[in-house]
Amino acid sequence: MPLNAIDSLALSHFLLTGAVLFCLGLIGFISRRNLIIMFLCTEMMFQGVAVSLVAFSRFHLNDTGQTFVIFVLTIAAAEAALALGLVVLLFRRKKTLDALAWSDLKG
Amino acid sequence: MEQHLEYALYIASVLGAISLSLMMPRRSKPLRFLGPILGAAALGGLWLFLSGSDFWADRETGLSGAGFLYYYVFSGISIAAAVKVITHTRPVYAALWFVMVVLASAGLFIVLSAQFMAFAIIIIYGGAILVTYVFVIMLASQPDPDGQSGQIYDKVAREPTMACAAGFLLLAVLLSLSFDPQIAAQPDPDNSDIALIGSTLGGRPIQPSARFEYDPQSELMVEAQPIPTPTNLDPARLSNAERIGLDLFRSHPLGLELAGVILLISLVGAVVIARTKVPDEHPPAPG
Amino acid sequence: MPIELIKLVPWIPLLGAALCGVCCMKPVWRKAAGPISVLSIFIPFLITCGVYSAAKHLNDTQQVQTVYSWIGVGEFQVNMAYFIDPLTMVMLFVVTGIGSLIATYAMGYMKGDRGYARFFMGVSLFIFAMTTLVMADNLVLLYLGWEGVGLCSYLLIGYYYDKPFAVAAAKKAFIVNRIGDLGFALGIFLTYMTYHTVSLSVVTDMARHAVEQGFDPTTADLWIPFLLMLGAFGKSAQIPLHVWLPDAMAGPTPVSALVHAATMVTAGVYMIARLMPVFQLSPYALPTVATVGGVTALFAGTIALCQYDLKKVFAYSTVSQLGYMFLGVGALSTFGGIFHLFTHAFFKALLFLTAGSVMHALAGQLDLRAMSGLRHKMPVTCWLMFAGCLALAGFPFTAGFFSKDTILAEAMVRGTGEHGSTLFFWLAIMGLATAFLTAFYTFRLWFRVFMGPEHFEMGDDDHGADDAHGDDHGHAHEPHEMPWWPMNAPLAVLAVGALFAGLIFSGWMTTNIEESTAQPAVALNIQTDPQTAPAYEIIAVSDQADTHAAAADSHADAGHGDDHEAHRAHGIHVLLKWVSSFIALLGIALAGYFHWLNRPLTDQIAKRFSGVVEVLYNKYYVDELYDLTIVKPLRRLGHGFYLFDQFVINGLVMTVGYLPRLVGWSVRPTQSGQIQGYGLGMVMGMALVALLVFKWAF
Repeated sequence: MPLNAIDSLALSHFLLTGAVLFCLGLIGFISRRNLIIMFLCTEMMFQGVAVSLVAFSRFHLNDTGQTFVIFVLTIAAAEAALALGLVVLLFRRKKTLDALAWSDLKG
Repeated sequence: MEQHLEYALYIASVLGAISLSLMMPRRSKPLRFLGPILGAAALGGLWLFLSGSDFWADRETGLSGAGFLYYYVFSGISIAAAVKVITHTRPVYAALWFVMVVLASAGLFIVLSAQFMAFAIIIIYGGAILVTYVFVIMLASQPDPDGQSGQIYDKVAREPTMACAAGFLLLAVLLSLSFDPQIAAQPDPDNSDIALIGSTLGGRPIQPSARFEYDPQSELMVEAQPIPTPTNLDPARLSNAERIGLDLFRSHPLGLELAGVILLISLVGAVVIARTKVPDEHPPAPG
Repeated sequence: MPIELIKLVPWIPLLGAALCGVCCMKPVWRKAAGPISVLSIFIPFLITCGVYSAAKHLNDTQQVQTVYSWIGVGEFQVNMAYFIDPLTMVMLFVVTGIGSLIATYAMGYMKGDRGYARFFMGVSLFIFAMTTLVMADNLVLLYLGWEGVGLCSYLLIGYYYDKPFAVAAAKKAFIVNRIGDLGFALGIFLTYMTYHTVSLSVVTDMARHAVEQGFDPTTADLWIPFLLMLGAFGKSAQIPLHVWLPDAMAGPTPVSALVHAATMVTAGVYMIARLMPVFQLSPYALPTVATVGGVTALFAGTIALCQYDLKKVFAYSTVSQLGYMFLGVGALSTFGGIFHLFTHAFFKALLFLTAGSVMHALAGQLDLRAMSGLRHKMPVTCWLMFAGCLALAGFPFTAGFFSKDTILAEAMVRGTGEHGSTLFFWLAIMGLATAFLTAFYTFRLWFRVFMGPEHFEMGDDDHGADDAHGDDHGHAHEPHEMPWWPMNAPLAVLAVGALFAGLIFSGWMTTNIEESTAQPAVALNIQTDPQTAPAYEIIAVSDQADTHAAAADSHADAGHGDDHEAHRAHGIHVLLKWVSSFIALLGIALAGYFHWLNRPLTDQIAKRFSGVVEVLYNKYYVDELYDLTIVKPLRRLGHGFYLFDQFVINGLVMTVGYLPRLVGWSVRPTQSGQIQGYGLGMVMGMALVALLVFKWAF
């Protein structure tokens, strides 16, 4: 399958999608109070980054971009495992998933 | 024209911010119905503006027309699903909408000819990680305090307006950067040249360090023969998965090892966390 | 004994002070402090004696012993050097001799006190400073000693630091001394600027040379003596800086005896005697000194008449006697001044210590009205104090008699005759009046305390030393005699000194002091100023028979002095001896009549003149005057500065301090503990950084 590079305009479109996903994840992370949703939103930020990486890969015709998505997936998996474990731990302690319930950790 | 584009990006960002802040879960939701409309208008208007712009017409984008159609479709789905993820008041549905985001992203990957990644994220994200999330959501579900569905902390977001303003400020900056022709990445002729793919595939030019092996005949350590490298592979004939595999193992062996270590550590960490005993506290959850 | 040993004299007390400081650390060690201190003062006394007897055979006892180079800045060179001459030796005898006697007494007096070691540390340190002062070869070292004794005085007055009046007295002494010391320091600066050296021997030699050559006094010449004089007035408690000394009696009595009667307060007299040629450079300096001395003598004498506090009487008496000494040096009679200093050290130390014994016996009672007829309870103390009183009153052939008469006679000699100045005549008359007052108030005190019907009220002062007597006899105990050792024995020595020091030592003093600074100065003066010639002459004439040899020598030195003048001076001396004997006896007799035999009459008289008594009792309201004219305005000024500092300076500082707090206060809400809030900040920061880096940087 012949492969040719996309131009910068097309790249910008994909970057737009990636940025929107990233920012929506960010907004979700900032404003949602459910710990699980917060981490879900970080996954969505990863998703936006992944879209951008793949678009760059195609733009430069360089497969390293896609390779990096693998690393992103790795980190996402690790994060999911640890973060969800912690969330369960926190939930067991306070019987709530509200992030505000833990604001007394401000020190 | 660039000036107009910039204004269009800013306007779309502001509209998006307004629409999202209308849609965010709040105690009182006036004009909530306006949110999707405004959002769709912002996104669609932006796309329309981009497709009608001057530098669109006589340029080869590298994607077929159908490719761009798919882009619009998948992009729209993923953004809409993402909005649903962050605005939905019930975690399970949010998780399911996230699956939709993943699927739409996978579609975008296929548009970008990254088939392996498309399936990888569907399997890993949509399969493994999301299942974990749903498990945890189920595990941490509580009986509803007032008989209604959903917890208060799901129904009322924390400072949504502020968050939207900040998020879309960042978005506006990012977009204005990515659409700025002066800043936007130009294809590097040396790097994008198809002829370069061969060497890219081969990774960095291998400078085989001298390897030594024991020669039983001379009973000495002699220089070993270099391991043959696939320099003769035709990159155009390799599949996406093969290229990624080559790139991964040729160019990023250290990163691969580190990723393995991280996974191992997180595994151990997860086990430790799971075994931790915590005291029970039952403070009234702040409203 | 090698003369170099004299170098050790100041350092042994310093070592003693350090050892006493070590003794402060553990209560068990405290008892060692007293003997250590006494030894550290007594050993220098022995050294002084040894060096004196060794140096007597030398032709030139006047020499400089350098210990080490202390300060060297370019041409400004100050050595830790000691100037040894007979004047120094006399002062050393007084300081170490009287010092060891008083320290011995203090061993008993301070026994059992909480700050026993601290007290003796102060005493030893004081002896270090005082010996440094009298041995100093240069003005800077002298100033070191000068300030050192001031510091020790402050520490010892404030010994009972938990008593507000003692603390206030200590502060008062320190501050008043600072005023004098400022003048002294300025005088030293001016001396250095004028003579380009601070060495005492060089400065006095240069000044003497100037006097010898005939000179035209420069402005500096006129000012230096007045500045130095200010320091002397502060240290020796002369008008107008006398106010601190009576209050200084808040310290323990041995301190009053040692520091505030016998030694430290005489530093001013010593300094003027030492720098006599410099003072002669200004025609107004010595008359000023004499006037201030004479006025102070009379002034303090009158105040002493009406004081009821035992120690206050002696304190004003000290001020008065110091006035005599100033009158003496002011009348160009270094000999008279130093001789009176010498004898005064004996009898004033004795008087203070016996007063301390009375106070000790009566548990801190010091009010004359609250005691009477104690002679049966404390016979030894009674007669010891009697000896001191005789000497102070100038009873014929006691120590005070000789020295006081010398001063008075010389003032009179300068005040009469063809060149006589009226000033000195009247000063001599004032001195005679003071002599009468002295005799009267001294014996008023003695008769009040020891004669008449027996009556006493115990003080309410929990005197620390009371614990020391083994048998715990509480507050209501009877007055008791002091033990011979270590308290009464040193007093007996002092009493012998007070009675016979004049007889024994006048010849010795004459020889020494004449060989010292005074002699050349006066001798030179003869050439330039015939008027002062008799002053020298008189020294010889005034002395007892056993000093006639010295007198003859002196006479020979002053060979061209006028025979007639000498004859006149001799006449005056003899006359004054009769007059002052009569005056002293009259004073004693009147005191006996009013305060022993007919006390009710005294009370009646006092009632008639209650206004006068009131003024005298309140010390002419000098303290109140100072309070009104100096202290209060200064305090107001200070308050103004305080307000300025509080509102302007402090306001500025606080503003600077509040700025970060304001910033912190404004951003504190962001530290909410809600991780999402931090995320929000991060997002905004990221957007800002992206804008800055990518957009606005282009």
